[in-house]
Amino acid sequence: MPPPTATRVPEHSPKRANRQIERETEGFIALYADATPEEIAERLAELDREWDIERTLQTNFAIVSAIGLALAALKDRRLALLSGLAARFMLQHSVQGWCPPLPVFRKLGVRTAAEISKERAALQALAARFAATAPLEAAPGERARSALQAVR
Amino acid sequence: MVQAAVAATNQRVRDNTARHVNRRIEQRTLARLAYFAEHPDEIEERLAELDAEWDVERLIEAEGSTTILTGVVLGVLGHRRWLALPAFATGMLLLHSVQGWYPLLPVFRRFGIRTEGEIAQERYALLALRGDIGGLAADASASARARQALAMAERRPRAAVH
Repeated sequence: MPPPTATRVPEHSPKRANRQIERETEGFIALYADATPEEIAERLAELDREWDIERTLQTNFAIVSAIGLALAALKDRRLALLSGLAARFMLQHSVQGWCPPLPVFRKLGVRTAAEISKERAALQALAARFAATAPLEAAPGERARSALQAVR
Repeated sequence: MVQAAVAATNQRVRDNTARHVNRRIEQRTLARLAYFAEHPDEIEERLAELDAEWDVERLIEAEGSTTILTGVVLGVLGHRRWLALPAFATGMLLLHSVQGWYPLLPVFRRFGIRTEGEIAQERYALLALRGDIGGLAADASASARARQALAMAERRPRAAVH
């Protein structure tokens, strides 16, 4: 059975990279705990634009594959095997969740779409779109934690 | 405002899908939420299903890589003209990652394959339904509560949509 879409990338990432990414996400949510709805809307728009790990890897695989095919056309067609290798790793990433460039991108802080969605839902809770998960008089840190908890 | 050539990650698939197909996907989600509003004890199981659900990106990666691999094998072992197949598939993969469109996207979307954003929307709406994220009016009808929950979990505040 292939692993779940939502967790296959963290499962195959270095633990330290996962922890670092979680800390950064929590930091952002804490930063916006007492932000105005406009500031939160701006951050949500940023999240819409953020390149997730799938998009980053697809671009990476497409470029490597294109280089292999260009070399095959110009030099020796056996160089198309570079393109085949990129495709082979993209297939492994799709089904299993791991591929050689994954640890590098994760260490650079590239998040999964699910990780981004979690921040989005937490921000929406902060914007009281989920009828505030913690009372407004609670400390921002407490509200941030409860918002993150709420969307876990 | 100039539309960026590089589309927003979260919207690029929906922007490249026919409106009625997007709407059908939303309506199916809404119908499921109405069901779970009345069966909250089954939400946990549904959340696990959502984690496992293959989104558009995962499917494109599986299909695109298979196409490229097939073309490369045929092109190296057989006639080199076969290399046009991986060349085309590679170009389409790059197009999809940057702009969002993909030749098979209309097919996948019509089969109901969702984006991660759409799956996440159902996930958080379910959590809201169960009361994990804020409270919903308990006296409203199941479908009204479902709509309310979906609106809560929508990807951005209405005010930010122009």
